[in-house]
Amino acid sequence: MIPAETYLLLSAAIFCIGLFGILTRRNALIFLMSVELMLNAANINLVAFSLQHGNLTGQVFSLFTMALAAAEVAIGIGIVLVLYRNFTDVDVTKATTMRW
Amino acid sequence: MVALPDWMALAPALSLALASLVLLLADSVDPDTTNTGLLAGISVLGSLLSFGFAGWFITAGTGMADSTGVALFNNQLVVDQMALFFMAIVGSVTTLVVLASYDYVAEHSYQAEFFVLVLLSATGMSLLSAANSLATAFVALELVSLPSYALVAFLKENKGSVEAGLKYFLIGAVSSAVLAYGISLVYAATGVLRFDGVATAISSGTVQTIVDGSVQAQAGDPAVPMAILGVGILMIIGGVAFKTASVPFHFWAPEAYEGAPAPISAFLSSASKAAGFVLAFRAFAVAFPIGDLLAAGGAINWVMAFQILAIATMFIGNFAAATQETVKRMLAYSSVGHAGYVLIGLAAVSGSGEGLSLSMSAGMSHLLVYGFMNTGAFLFIALAEYWGVGRRFEDYNGLGREAPVACAAMTVFLFSLAGLPIGGGFFSKFYLFQATLNVSAWSLAAALIINSALSLFYYSRVVKAMWIEEPTGSRTIESYPMGLYTAVVGAALVTVLLLPGFNRVSEIAFQAAQLL
Repeated sequence: MIPAETYLLLSAAIFCIGLFGILTRRNALIFLMSVELMLNAANINLVAFSLQHGNLTGQVFSLFTMALAAAEVAIGIGIVLVLYRNFTDVDVTKATTMRW
Repeated sequence: MVALPDWMALAPALSLALASLVLLLADSVDPDTTNTGLLAGISVLGSLLSFGFAGWFITAGTGMADSTGVALFNNQLVVDQMALFFMAIVGSVTTLVVLASYDYVAEHSYQAEFFVLVLLSATGMSLLSAANSLATAFVALELVSLPSYALVAFLKENKGSVEAGLKYFLIGAVSSAVLAYGISLVYAATGVLRFDGVATAISSGTVQTIVDGSVQAQAGDPAVPMAILGVGILMIIGGVAFKTASVPFHFWAPEAYEGAPAPISAFLSSASKAAGFVLAFRAFAVAFPIGDLLAAGGAINWVMAFQILAIATMFIGNFAAATQETVKRMLAYSSVGHAGYVLIGLAAVSGSGEGLSLSMSAGMSHLLVYGFMNTGAFLFIALAEYWGVGRRFEDYNGLGREAPVACAAMTVFLFSLAGLPIGGGFFSKFYLFQATLNVSAWSLAAALIINSALSLFYYSRVVKAMWIEEPTGSRTIESYPMGLYTAVVGAALVTVLLLPGFNRVSEIAFQAAQLL
């Protein structure tokens, strides 16, 4: 069996790629894709350790995570759509009517 | 006395869910309805029922017979006194918010959807109070978040609202991904998601598994990798910090609260914050008991982490609030500051048992009082928006002469938020102070006092504008909306009544924390 550390490394790498995308990209849609990467990094952990531990808790929970990710994207696309209508752009740095 | 079936313990959450379904039904029968009275009526009824059930169960002592409360769905949900306490907070805040929305959404389209989203989000908060596993907690948390993203961006023609919705969604999506990753690491380390199982894994130091609903050590006794567990716990703290608008994930709060429709700002800053805290209280008290964690080789000292976060949140929230030019943004930062006060409930923990119950019950009591005074203050802003009063402090000049009742209520909220003995806020802050002294956490006590004194300065700016300053320009208030007035005055009455009634609240909170 492939040792558990390999999966942890893989998922950590994917999580960091997602985080990097969020911090550097300005397009709201790419932002959504990056969040998907981060969520799927969690899924890799859950499924890999479900096999490792020999119980199904992780696999079942990863199904929930996927469903929730899909719901989150549905809401996200809706917000991106109204963003485009109001600011005629999907650049997340353009929406700055308020400042802190 | 007839014993109710076990599933009835979830009645506070179920009545909210049922009301949202009835609203959807009403909406499908008549999709373009402008009958706000009917829609708001159903919502108020559902949330009042939820509050009523929670109050009834608390007084009837539901879940007190057994140390684990009423366990449902194989222990995934647990209805104990703490869950009911928070269900009562959620029910009361939701009632006030939907009552006030009656006037606020009257001119908007998609009214039914507005109320449905509020009630669905409230259902999530109610369920989150009872969540006893990282899986149910995550699902309930998303049920809280997803409708609230849509609610913040509800005024879709309004640039501020859309911008607020975008920022809230972006930061929310990232933090829920961080939380999911943290949960996956905790699962990787311990082999279970249920809170009691995680606690067993930490105390025994071996990976656990659940067979037929009971926690057992896994075959071969593999050891728990403490480093992975520590990183997982740290990420869960991040997820909680987002939901409660605490440092370092607080910066969405001022934007979201300023841009959102004011009743939604009230809802998010009171009920959503309380829901985030109940997850934190239960997870850190039950799943990650600090004594066992430190004994097991110091994976992470979360008490220390929360001490740093509490002090940083108090200072950043209050100092930023003091420099604001608009009233709504000032309240938004003050709500960040209040998250810092409640964090004391987790930061002033010493071991388990008595010390844990004292500090957590202080946090819980403050959340209850805060639920009324903060909701009321934001609903007053909703009233000002309804009248078309501007956003800056100067725009409130002389408002006390035109609307003395509402302004008197606002004065009660603000002074109670500051901690003057005019409302329950005085005793709840005093209780928090006592909790810090109990563990000799002098830095926390000092931060609490400095920030309370500072907050009096910026709260009284609003009071001064309303009562002392001369009105500038011509402003005529044409109508006195009934729903908003009822909600604001009701919240003010409860805030004042909590001054003599605080003893009872803190008793219930203490008992609830002890049973955890």
